[in-house]
Amino acid sequence: MGGGYIMYNILAILFKYIFIIIIYLFIFSIIRLIYLDIKGMEVISFDDRAYLKLINRKDSLPFKIEEYYIIDEVLSLGRHADNHIVVKDPYISKEHFQIVEDENEYYLEDLDSANGTYLNGDKIYDIVKLQDGDIIKAGQIEFLFVNRK
Amino acid sequence: MNKRILTRSPRNLLFLFQALGIILLLIYKGKEVDRLTVGTAVGLVLVIYLSNYILTRITRGDHYIFLITTMLVSIGIIMIYRIDEALGIKQLIWISIGIFIFFSTYFIIKKIRIWENLTYFYLVGAYLLFIITFVFGDRRHGAINWINIGQFSFQPAEIIKILLVFILSSYYSNKDRWKDIKYASYYLMGIVYSFILLLFLQKDLGTALVFYAIFLAIQFIYEEDRKLILLNIGLFLIFGLLGYTLFDHVKIRFQSWLNPWKYIERQGYQITQSLFAIAEGGFFGKGLGLGHPDFIPVVYTDFIFSAICEEMGIFTGIGIIMLFMIFVYRGFKIAISQGNKFYRILALGISILFGVQSFIILGGVIKMIPLTGLTLPFVSYGGSSILSSFIALGILQICSEEIKTKEDLDEARD
Amino acid sequence: MKQEIRRIILVLAGLCLVFISLIVYISYFQVFKATAIKNNSYNKRLWINEESILRGSFLDRNGQTLVYSEKKDSGYERHYLFGRLYSHIIGYSYREYGKAGLELQYNNQLLNSSENAAINELKNLVSPTTEGNDIKLTIDHDLQAKARNLLKGKKGSIIAMNPINGEVYAMVSLPDFDVNSLKEDWKNITENPDSPLVNRATQGLYAPGSVFKVITTAAFLEDEDLDTSYQCTGTANVGGYEFSDYNKKAHGSLDLKGALAESCNTYFTTKSIEVGKETIGDTAEKFMINNIIPFDLPVKNSQFPYKGALDKTELASASIGQGKVLVTPLNMAMVASGIANGGHIVKPVLVKEILSKEGKVLKTNTTEILSIATDPIKANMIKEMMVETVNSGTGTKARIKNVKVAGKTGTAETASGKSHAWFIGFAPADDPKVAVAVVLEEDDSTGGSSAAPIARDIMLHVINNIKE
Repeated sequence: MGGGYIMYNILAILFKYIFIIIIYLFIFSIIRLIYLDIKGMEVISFDDRAYLKLINRKDSLPFKIEEYYIIDEVLSLGRHADNHIVVKDPYISKEHFQIVEDENEYYLEDLDSANGTYLNGDKIYDIVKLQDGDIIKAGQIEFLFVNRK
Repeated sequence: MNKRILTRSPRNLLFLFQALGIILLLIYKGKEVDRLTVGTAVGLVLVIYLSNYILTRITRGDHYIFLITTMLVSIGIIMIYRIDEALGIKQLIWISIGIFIFFSTYFIIKKIRIWENLTYFYLVGAYLLFIITFVFGDRRHGAINWINIGQFSFQPAEIIKILLVFILSSYYSNKDRWKDIKYASYYLMGIVYSFILLLFLQKDLGTALVFYAIFLAIQFIYEEDRKLILLNIGLFLIFGLLGYTLFDHVKIRFQSWLNPWKYIERQGYQITQSLFAIAEGGFFGKGLGLGHPDFIPVVYTDFIFSAICEEMGIFTGIGIIMLFMIFVYRGFKIAISQGNKFYRILALGISILFGVQSFIILGGVIKMIPLTGLTLPFVSYGGSSILSSFIALGILQICSEEIKTKEDLDEARD
Repeated sequence: MKQEIRRIILVLAGLCLVFISLIVYISYFQVFKATAIKNNSYNKRLWINEESILRGSFLDRNGQTLVYSEKKDSGYERHYLFGRLYSHIIGYSYREYGKAGLELQYNNQLLNSSENAAINELKNLVSPTTEGNDIKLTIDHDLQAKARNLLKGKKGSIIAMNPINGEVYAMVSLPDFDVNSLKEDWKNITENPDSPLVNRATQGLYAPGSVFKVITTAAFLEDEDLDTSYQCTGTANVGGYEFSDYNKKAHGSLDLKGALAESCNTYFTTKSIEVGKETIGDTAEKFMINNIIPFDLPVKNSQFPYKGALDKTELASASIGQGKVLVTPLNMAMVASGIANGGHIVKPVLVKEILSKEGKVLKTNTTEILSIATDPIKANMIKEMMVETVNSGTGTKARIKNVKVAGKTGTAETASGKSHAWFIGFAPADDPKVAVAVVLEEDDSTGGSSAAPIARDIMLHVINNIKE
C-alpha cells in the first residue's frame, strides 16, 4: 500500500461528498418529476400545441378522466379501450367522436354516436373545423378546445 | 430546457452513482478483483439502466418505484461489497435474480387474473410454510426462521408476509362473498393473530410487528365494524404487556433499548456498537473503506444502515429515509388511483409493508425504538429479503396500471 | 368511497410523520449526542490507533518512570510499575475495562492524536503517528509512597500541594486497588463495599467538622460589626438544638483567635446566627464550596446549600462543618492553600509537563487564581490563629521543631457514629512551601490525635526534600 494508501484515502474522502451530492440530486429530481406529474402537466410545454381542457370538475365525474389531452394527429374519445380518451359512461358510445389534424387545422367528427356530439351547444352532423375557444360536449363531458397558434 | 432535464434525469444520476461506486471499489480492493466480478457488476448497472428505461415504455403505470428501489439497491450493494467481497458478489447475483423475478411477477400477475378468489389457497399456503419452518427450521441469532436447502437458506416468513397481503386484499375486496359466514371478520382477525403468535413462538418479533401493523392499517381503512379495530388495539396492548412480563426475551429488548450502556457487554452490545458507528460517521461519513463497520455485529443485514452512516454519513442515511418515504408515498398514490378494489388494497398492503418494515429496523438501529431483527428492504444483504421485495415490487407495479376488468377485455375483442 | 380515501390519506400521513421523526431523531442524535457517545471506551475505534502507537509514559516530577509501554510482537504491553500507588491518579488503560484516571483524561496526548477527527484525518494522511507523548506529573514519588504508608490500613485521603503554584505533590486515596491484577480482581474490586475504585481525594464527600471553621472564621472577619468576645460555658442552645463542646468543656472567656485555636463549637454556632447565612455561604463559595474545581481529574463539587431554606440550627451546624456541609479533601487542601497564599485560591495542577518522546517540552501547565477568598490581612490573621492551634491548641501533634506550622484539626460526626478525623494546614507559616489535607474516614478518633501527626510527617518531608 504505502503511498497508494494515502491516495485512496484522499479519493475516498472526496467521493463521500460526491456520493451525497448525487443521492440528493437524485431524490430532488424524482420529487420534481412527481410534482410535475401531479400538476397534470407534461414536461413539454403546451404553448405551441393544440389541446383539450376538461371543463367539468374532475371529481364530479364518476369515471376516470384527465384534465388535459394534447392533440397529436388524431384524438379520439369513446367507451372502447382503443380510444385516446376512454370514458366509461353508458351515454358515451364505443366510438363517440374524433379530432383530426390536417395542415395545422383541427377538425371535429362525430362517429355515429348514439347521443351525439355538440359544438358550442349545437349538435354536429358533418365534419367541422375547430376554432380556438370552442366547447365540445359529449354526454355530460365538456371540453374546451385550445389552439393558440 | 429539455436537454437539461435529460442529463439530470434520475436514471442517469443513478448510472453515474453506480459507475463511481464501482470505480472507487475497484481502487479500494486493488488488484484482487477478478474480471468476472467486474463484468457482473457492470452488467448489472446496464441491466438496471435498461430496466428503468424499458419500464417507461412498456407500462403506463408508475416509473418511480423501480427507480427508487434500484438506488437503494445500489447503495446497499456498494456497502456490502466493501464489507465482504464474497457477500457482495452473492448480493449482485441476488439482485440480478431479483430484477428478473420483478419482471416475471409483473407479467404473471398481469396475464393470470385469478388472484382475487384464492383466499383459502393463500391461507393454506401460509400455514403450510409455518409448519415447514417449525419442522425443518434452523435457529439463528435466537430465532427459528431459516430453512436450509443444501447451500441455500431462505426465510419462509418473507413469503408468508406477501401471502398475508393477498389474504387481506382478497378478503376485503369483496365482502359480499363472506356475508353468509357470521363473524367472518372475527375469523380473519383470529387467523392473523394465529400468524402473529406463530411468529412470536419463532422469536421473530420484528416480522410479528410488521404483520400486526399491516393488519391494523388495512382494518382501519376497510373494516366496517369499527369495534374490531378497537378490539385489535386492545388485544395488542394486553398481549404486549403479557409478553413483556412473562417473557424474558421481550423484557431484555426493552431494557437494552432504554439503557444499553448498562448492559453494554451483553444485550446492549449490538445497539451500542451501532451507535458508535453512526456517531463516528458524522454528517458526511468517514469515507468508503475508512471506517470500521466490521466492529458492528450482524452488519450486513440488520445493521447495514449503521455501516452506511459510518462511512457515507448521516446525510446518506437521511437520503435513504427520504427514499423510503417517497416510495411509500408513491405506493399510496398508486393505490388511490387504482380503480379495482382488490388491486387497490394490494397496493396499500405492500406500501404499508415496506413502510413499516423499514421504519422498524431504521428506528431500531438508531435506538429510537427497541431493536428487532429485520432487514432493510433492498438495502440489506439476504436472498429471501431481496427476492420477496422484488416480488412485492412487481405486484405494486401491476397495481399502478389501469386494471382492465373482464368486461373491458371482452369489449376489446369485439 | 370518499371515506375510504380519507382513511387512506390518514394512514399515509401517519407513515410520513413517522419517517420525518426518524430524520429528526437521527439529526438530533448526531448534533447533540454523538461526541459523548463516541468517547466510550467500548468503542473499539478509539483503540485502533493504539495498536500502532507507542503510548506515552508517566513520570514523576523528578523524572522517575511510573508507567510505560513496551513493544511486543502483537502490539504493546503496558507496565504499571507501582500498581497500587497510582491506581487513582494515573488509573489504567485496558481494552476490556476501558480507561480511568489520567490515562483517560490525557488519552489524546498519550497517543499524540488530536481531539478533532478532521485534523487527525489530515495528519494521518501526511505523516502517521507512531509515538505518543510522555506526561510528567507534579507528584513526588517518595512523598506519594510515604503518604500511602502513613495512611495504610485505614480509609481516607491525603493531599499535599504547593499553595503558591498549585502543584500537587501527593494525592493518596485508600482503599486502592492493584492496576496490574485488574482482570483477576475485577469482580472483587467492583463489588467491594468500600469502593476502592473511587478516588476519595476528588470524589469523596465528607462532613468536614471543625476544619470548616477556617472558612467560618474568614466569614466572621468579613462582618466588621461582629462582637468577637464570648463567654463559653460548654453548651449553647441555637434554634432549639443544644450544641456542646468536646466533653462539654467550658473554655471560659474567648475571642475569635482563641475560639479557633481551641475549636470552640459553642462560639461558632452562637455567632453564626449573628453573621448570617449569606455571609457565611458567600465566603464558603469563595473558598470553592458549591463551585466546580478545574483539575486534571474530575472533581465533585463540595456542597453547602445555603441559598434555599436554612434554619438556625442548620446554619449553626454548618458553621462547625456538620449538617448539610460536605467537602472533598482536595477542596480543603485548597482552603489551607488559600490562607497560606494571602487569601488567593489557586488552581491545583497535577500534570506538570507534556513531553515528546525526544524530550522536548510540548506544553507546561501553570496555575491561575480561581478566587480571592479573603484579603491578605484577614488571611494573615487566620494564619496566626492556625499557628496558635498548632502551638497550644488542638493541633499540637503537628508541631515541627524549628518550623512554624499553621493548622486546624477536625473531628466530624457522621451518621454511622464513627467520626472522621481531619487536619488541614501549611508550613512554614511565614513562607509556605506545602499545604496539606488529611482525612481518616470513620476512624472514630480525633483529628488532633490521628490526622495531625500524619500531616506533620508529610509537611516535614516536603520541607526537607522537595524543591519547587
